[in-house]
Amino acid sequence: MEGFVNTALIGVSLGAQYALLALGFTLIFGILGVVNFAHGGFYVLGGYVAYACVQHLGVPYPIAVMVAALATAGLGYVFEYFLLEHLIDNHLATLMLTLGFYLVMATGILVVFGPESPEFRFPISGTLRSGGIYIPLENFVVLSVCLLTIVGVYLLMYFTDFGRALRALADDRPVAMAQGLRPGILFPAAFGLATGLAGLTGALVTPILSLAPHIGDSVLAISFITVILGGLGSIGGATAAAFIVGMVEAFSSVYLGGSKGALTLFTLVLVILVVRPSGLFGREVRGA
Amino acid sequence: MGNRFHGATTMAATALAIGLTVGSAAAQCELKLGVIGVMSGPAAQWGLALRGAAELVAAEANAAGGLPVGSQKCKVSTVSIDSKYTAEGAAAAANNMVSQGIKLIIGPIGSPEMTGLKPIANRNNLLVMGNGYAKDAIGPQWPLVFHQGPGPSGWAAPIVEVAKAKFNMKKVVLIAPNDQGGTDIASVDAAAYKKHGIEAIEEYYQRGTTNFAPIITRALNAKPDAVDTASSPPGDAGIIIKQLRQAGFAGPIGRLGGPGTEEIARVAGGYEVLKNFYWYEPVYIDDKVRAIAESYKKLMNANPPENNLFFQWVSATRMVTKAVTKAGTVDDVKKIADALRSLPVEDENMGKGLWIGKEFFGINQELSFPFGIGLILDGKMQPVLRHEAATGK
Repeated sequence: MEGFVNTALIGVSLGAQYALLALGFTLIFGILGVVNFAHGGFYVLGGYVAYACVQHLGVPYPIAVMVAALATAGLGYVFEYFLLEHLIDNHLATLMLTLGFYLVMATGILVVFGPESPEFRFPISGTLRSGGIYIPLENFVVLSVCLLTIVGVYLLMYFTDFGRALRALADDRPVAMAQGLRPGILFPAAFGLATGLAGLTGALVTPILSLAPHIGDSVLAISFITVILGGLGSIGGATAAAFIVGMVEAFSSVYLGGSKGALTLFTLVLVILVVRPSGLFGREVRGA
Repeated sequence: MGNRFHGATTMAATALAIGLTVGSAAAQCELKLGVIGVMSGPAAQWGLALRGAAELVAAEANAAGGLPVGSQKCKVSTVSIDSKYTAEGAAAAANNMVSQGIKLIIGPIGSPEMTGLKPIANRNNLLVMGNGYAKDAIGPQWPLVFHQGPGPSGWAAPIVEVAKAKFNMKKVVLIAPNDQGGTDIASVDAAAYKKHGIEAIEEYYQRGTTNFAPIITRALNAKPDAVDTASSPPGDAGIIIKQLRQAGFAGPIGRLGGPGTEEIARVAGGYEVLKNFYWYEPVYIDDKVRAIAESYKKLMNANPPENNLFFQWVSATRMVTKAVTKAGTVDDVKKIADALRSLPVEDENMGKGLWIGKEFFGINQELSFPFGIGLILDGKMQPVLRHEAATGK
């Protein structure tokens, strides 16, 4: 029973991290219609910005996390405004542009910080234990911040004019524009919000796992799996799918082993896509 | 006047002819070593160590007036190509070397590169002094391929013996990636544990995994006395160890894989998190070995590569150049390979070693020099233990 609870806790922790990543990824697709191949790069950059703030500038970790989120949001805004915006309706061009930007970011980080993992520790250590059930304190903090951020994104998207405007653009761009909404202003903001979420996740998670220039690849892969399972563009779907992926990964890895666990996850995604090609909560066709 | 002019012309022509002949002989007597290894990306340090070693050996020979080959002294030069740690990169590099007429290859480093390079080497009669811990890194089907140092089949058993004496473990779980770079090493490590009466369970994870909590929960369900991270990359191994300690595992942790203790400690949170840790050090560093680094500084006017594999590559490259001298040819690869096989394994800095590999690979073409066994006890780094060259038996 203790093993089962521990595995469930791992699943929830994984799910919360995946949800933050997937939210940003699906926001960009849902609103802009762009598959952001640079998403993993913003995650890594967030980690390195927080690391540089803490190690080189002596900034307290919580502030470093905020700086990382703002820096990646700012970079995302600038990238969308100056580069992506001009090609926003050309799907192939945006795909190549985001992929190229990821390579530039990854190589830049490699050149500046070197190939090896730096020493970047979470400021809190220790483990909460109750009998055989445990959760590392740092995981608990990250889980709490992730859950709060997810709630914050929901409030932003469903209870503010900004969120309503973004959802209107996602639903039907021509009609939303006819109502006076301006994609030229809102798209960079949406992109910045999404990349800020990736940067925030990187700043939170890399000190408890590891930080290295190449880790963005796996982040992109898990973001893809999650949003495809949830339905590309669906905020609720991405969140639900993130927790499903986290739970499946945890339980299958613990009870079937690492290789079979990965196989189980991919098989599940495949079966769901055969039964529901638009994902668990996706719409048939994007409006934009 | 006419005769004088004629005489001068004849002398000039003779001098030119002599000059051309000498120049031609010098040009013929050049040994080009091809260097193939990863020189960019996260594993660049390994390839830069390889390149630095080959360049040092060439500089040593040239500083002595050239490499003796028959009655000549030959200039030694190197041509380096980045294989990007991929099979296709190594194959492309080997083809490039062939087009340049290069016949002796130093490198590559990883198993994927060796897999890509070996068919090209066989087809074009290239002598390869490479690395890679795959179970088929060398073999009778590749008679011109040599191993610059032993894989786990050589050194795992002696390290397990030391670890067992220190920690008295009865059950170990090995955690490694689920591709050839992981399974080939972990399975050989597991056999070494079993040979010493220790139950060994292998657990594999998908390469690219960043959170190992589920694998660790599974591993700890087996209630092991020790956990071995085998050939998991240092970054992965560091997270695995950190999460093992968070899960309450207090036993010793091994690493019967490649080097990387400093990076592992950095990621895990320091030596105190590693607590009791044992690992394979490819080279036992003493004053004689450090002298190689000094020699590099003098001859190359630069700092030597940081990675300790540099020393291993120096000894391996020297063995190849010694074989060229013994064979008395820079072109006849079969003769050079025969000479290499017949050479005693000895290096002025690394000491005496052995040719091994027959038992595991079916061919005695693996260089084995004394190596080190690293230990951290109760969070304190211990002096590396010197172990005589592995016998592979």
